[in-house]
Amino acid sequence: MRENLFIGIDVGSSATKCVILDNTGTWLGHHVVSSGVNYADAIDTVVSHALLQAEGSKKDIAYCVSTGYGRKHVTFSDRFVTEITAHARGAREWNPSVRNIIDIGGQDTKYIRIDDNGQLIDYRMNAKCAAGTGTFLESIAVKLGMTLSELDELALKSTAPTLVNSYCTVFAGTEVIERIKEGQSPEDIAMGLFHSIASRVKEMIPCSVETVGVTGGVVEHCRALVIALEEALSGAIIEAPMPQHAGAYGAALLALESNPIFESKVDHA
Amino acid sequence: MTIAVKRVPIKARKRLQTLMHDYFLNLDAAATDSNRNVAWCTSVGPCEILTAFGYEVYFPENHGAMLGARKISHECIPAAVAIGYSAESCSYMTSDIGSALSGVSPLTEAFGISGPPKPDLLCYNTNQCREVQDWWNFFGRRHNAPVMGIGPPTHLDLVTEAHTDFVRNELSQLITRIESQTGTKMDWAKLEEAVDKSSKASSLWRKVLDTAQSHPSPITFFDGLIHMAPVILMRGSQHAIDYYTLLLAEMNERTNAKEAAVTNERFRIYWDGMPVWPKVREMSEKFFDLGLCVAASTYCNSWAFEEYTGGDPLAWMAKTSTKIFINRDETFKQKFLLDMCKQFDIDGMIFHNARTCPNNTNSRFGMAQRLRDESGLPVLVFDGDLSDVRFFSTAQTMTNIETFVEQLEGRCR
Repeated sequence: MRENLFIGIDVGSSATKCVILDNTGTWLGHHVVSSGVNYADAIDTVVSHALLQAEGSKKDIAYCVSTGYGRKHVTFSDRFVTEITAHARGAREWNPSVRNIIDIGGQDTKYIRIDDNGQLIDYRMNAKCAAGTGTFLESIAVKLGMTLSELDELALKSTAPTLVNSYCTVFAGTEVIERIKEGQSPEDIAMGLFHSIASRVKEMIPCSVETVGVTGGVVEHCRALVIALEEALSGAIIEAPMPQHAGAYGAALLALESNPIFESKVDHA
Repeated sequence: MTIAVKRVPIKARKRLQTLMHDYFLNLDAAATDSNRNVAWCTSVGPCEILTAFGYEVYFPENHGAMLGARKISHECIPAAVAIGYSAESCSYMTSDIGSALSGVSPLTEAFGISGPPKPDLLCYNTNQCREVQDWWNFFGRRHNAPVMGIGPPTHLDLVTEAHTDFVRNELSQLITRIESQTGTKMDWAKLEEAVDKSSKASSLWRKVLDTAQSHPSPITFFDGLIHMAPVILMRGSQHAIDYYTLLLAEMNERTNAKEAAVTNERFRIYWDGMPVWPKVREMSEKFFDLGLCVAASTYCNSWAFEEYTGGDPLAWMAKTSTKIFINRDETFKQKFLLDMCKQFDIDGMIFHNARTCPNNTNSRFGMAQRLRDESGLPVLVFDGDLSDVRFFSTAQTMTNIETFVEQLEGRCR
């Protein structure tokens, strides 16, 4: 039996993540599932699995912070925070020196800048278009008849990445077909797609940076993207240990910092 | 138990509804009366000249805004795109043209009239953008009506006498062209009267906006979007003066009673750029819930002209046409915005990057970042559009705004 569990839930457009901490900030459980079309089911699944790992139950939850596009679907949340604040908090905990963070998720890409105290100074999100996001890669992988992991594996074998010019997912897809017809290698075309994302990310960073922390599901699943980011950005890339869980971890830390035992007015059970 | 916080409605709105109803019914009647004439005019003039000629003046941009606010624009835009008007050009224009092509108008539901009044003359001023000229030309061809206008020098830092003399001369030539076209002489006494009334209405409107300097503010940008109608549509008439006298009195009462437009006003925001008309209600509610009061804006301030002190009405019109914010360069705009932030004790600035309105968007040449650096205020730029919701993502924008609040909260700790 556990008591005083601090739970962070990140309900993203592609995946739902959960992290559970004890009152010392130690990880007790975590889980991730595809968000699918029913957020309630996804939330229930991640929480149940993470609680199982933590050897606790819902009534042991002292405080819950939810984040991500579907954060308001967490009916037992004590507090909602945006994914920008949550990712910044998670990334900083893993690496206190980090001041610039890039989060590449399914629906959007975010640039976050924090000060020495972890306060948000600046942030940007990609424009409405999907280019530069996980959806961009997934969409083109589907067009090529492969999974995102297969696209990543292919890209890692590239020797001379192809230049993919288009900002638009649809046009980029057409461009890929054109390059295949021209006889360019699938490996180089695949890596070109990751470079295309890295180039969009570079546009979001307004100043030169020495180091950039990277988080998000795409970073976790695509090594090729980390390589492309290293080439595109002049600063060194600091990869979060569990990039996809950075938002949920940040949310769990914010739960822990909310002095929840006295504050929580929510019946988590 | 949470208690829902209600906003206190502005009482003058009832009078505004009557005024708007009368204004459109009068236009509709004029359009079908062979003894009366209707002129279409851009929102920043030169409507006083048209009034002095005896025209009833209609403003197509207002129709564009209504198409957006009533969520009809997205149904109309494709019709305009289909005949060659780019979906990336002004969505007021494309939705208004599309509205005419589709035979759909918000004026039917709002005022029981079939649509905009048929024009006898269309008159534009390109001090805001060039699109108005092409927009007016479409309707000129459609209704076989003459189109004419003025093109003041644009993107100015300092406005010199040479600039205003040039515009005054353009206005003078415009009068000559209308006289030649209609065979009617303009009534100069009526022009002076219209300019005097325009100036008075505009001056009262500025005073209304200035009440937002109080803490808490009795009015927000979202209220301003509703109550600015008379200073555009009825400028040059006693109706506008009377309306703003009434509204100003109410705002002063609210200020004295510390009646806030946003109950629990937490942060004071400056809004630069156009409203997102189809999302105004949603955004207004979001801002209210977050305790964000948009105390000042570029848009509502666009019709707050300097006072007319008599003498030369054309010179006043030339000055207002040339000096308005949208007609200025980034050096002037940056200084203006910085000054507004100080005057209204602003905590953060929001820039709307309206994708089809580059002229009324000020975040495309680094100004938002420069202002952030110079003022130390947090700045948010979000993507959207004035009327075409296809350029707007509700989820992303709301996340952006909520993050902005988290940033503002962080600065208070």
